[in-house]
Amino acid sequence: MPSMNPRSTVSLGGVPLHAMLAPIVAVCFVATLITDIVYWQTAAMLWADMSAWLLVAGLIVSLFAAPLGMIDFFGDPRIRELRAAWIHGIGNALAVILSIFNCLIHTRDAYTSVVPTGLILSALVVAILLVSGWNGWALVYRYGVGVRQKEQQ
Amino acid sequence: MKSPRFEAPAIAVLVALAGCGPAPIDPSRQVGANPYLPPIHQYLLPPMHVAKVVGWNGATPSVPAGLKVQSFATGLANPRSLYVLPNGDVLVVETGNPPGPVSRPKELVMNWVEKMAHSRTKPGQRILLFRDTDGDGVPDQRTVFIDHLNSPFGVVLVGSDLYVANTDAVLRYAYTTGQTQITDPGVKLCDLPGGPIDHHWTKSLTASPDGSELYAGVGSNSNITENGIQAEVGRASIWQIDRATGAHREYATGLRNPNGLQFEPQTHTLWAVINERDELGQDLVPDYLTSVRDGAFYGWPYSYYGQHIDPRVQPQRPDLVAKAIAPDYALSSHVAPLGLVFYSGTNLPAHYRGGAFVGEHGSWNRAVLNGYKIVYIPFADGRPSGPPEDVVTGFLVDGDKARGRPVGLAVDGQGGLLIADDTGNSVWRVSAASP
Repeated sequence: MPSMNPRSTVSLGGVPLHAMLAPIVAVCFVATLITDIVYWQTAAMLWADMSAWLLVAGLIVSLFAAPLGMIDFFGDPRIRELRAAWIHGIGNALAVILSIFNCLIHTRDAYTSVVPTGLILSALVVAILLVSGWNGWALVYRYGVGVRQKEQQ
Repeated sequence: MKSPRFEAPAIAVLVALAGCGPAPIDPSRQVGANPYLPPIHQYLLPPMHVAKVVGWNGATPSVPAGLKVQSFATGLANPRSLYVLPNGDVLVVETGNPPGPVSRPKELVMNWVEKMAHSRTKPGQRILLFRDTDGDGVPDQRTVFIDHLNSPFGVVLVGSDLYVANTDAVLRYAYTTGQTQITDPGVKLCDLPGGPIDHHWTKSLTASPDGSELYAGVGSNSNITENGIQAEVGRASIWQIDRATGAHREYATGLRNPNGLQFEPQTHTLWAVINERDELGQDLVPDYLTSVRDGAFYGWPYSYYGQHIDPRVQPQRPDLVAKAIAPDYALSSHVAPLGLVFYSGTNLPAHYRGGAFVGEHGSWNRAVLNGYKIVYIPFADGRPSGPPEDVVTGFLVDGDKARGRPVGLAVDGQGGLLIADDTGNSVWRVSAASP
């Protein structure tokens, strides 16, 4: 009997790889907003440096998370039928593109590496992630994407 | 010298990457007492145009009619500064930057860019002595004068005391005329701001005409405070050091990276060339040559060229900006002046006497390269009296490849102009074409 849940094409021991990596990217970008805010308030360079590392780390992990997510998206037509999958994919792509620009802004020296452009971009990325992340969770917890069902065993 | 055939595509790519900023202006608008200062332009990706190092391969720099250029020394390991002893012996300082911590990802990229722009030879940490025994202008003896130094740069002799400025201390050595090697370890006169962060590490050194004081150039520890203001204590300033006690005070401040400290021979005032800040645009901020006034504040980091505020510095200090004075003479943007010498010799034609030669190491933060040459600035009554003239060129070939890059300058015992070329690993000598 075929699985009722949409399938994750790239998984390791039954665990979808995209679902493991995507939260790392999200955490890096959320943390960037926090360290940007602290830098804006304190002007202590340590926090701006931390933002620069977090952005680079998030972008490096997204190099792996994004293609894995795309393979899953195109790997099972039932995923493409879900509105949440489209919102999740487009939202995350937008967040990554904005973060590339944000990373370049953060290569500037001292105050203008964060205030105001970097801070605005960091906040925008987190706002997008709230929507795209929510829809990502919905894919798993509501629509069971990549979740194995009892009767399959 | 410049070939538009090679340069145009490279510029097109760089301008596109740089987010379509304004085109670079003619550097001649930014020389002299009142340089044109365009509005600030912060790029998404700053213009990074580094000349690829190709070496001399038998070629020599170019000089105008009436002058000739000879190879003085070759096969060196990053020669950056020069000093001529009273008996005519020439000291060549081989040196390189000390290792530093990486505090953000950008520095990994910048370190790679800098590597591209410099010679692949591992820099020496020593001073060599060259002697010309037969007076033909070319040395025939070479010895290791002082070895095992720590990123040395400035050298000055007062009486029989020879001072060497390592990146972290001024050392004193006993010197007797004719000596070709010093093996004793030297005595520390005073500490200088060194590592662990040591961004501008070249400590230029000179002595007051009466020999009582030393002056050391201490560059800033960042481009524009990105390592934190606490890393800038005692930096971006010229120190006056008491030769007897080693005690120091900051003689002038707000000078981002002062080098080539020299006393003008006619008026006995201190002059220096200063490397100004990067990444405010291709034509900001002009580097400059200036007399250095006791107690003066020249703006860095809070403002540039007088009281033009730099928005990258936080918190701002309007109280300090109000005191900032403009320097004397702009050299145009990103030329990276590292060498200065006043010419009081008699070998070169009369046209070159009494003024200053400036060694321009050359730009990285500009789509069209700037600098990479020696200019002459005429002086009258101890002040610059005309626009700079190109004297030694040909360091660039095909517009964007570097045969060498000039750094420190000195005048030898016979009045020849010596040029340290750290990228070509050579020293060049310019003299009159016919005696």
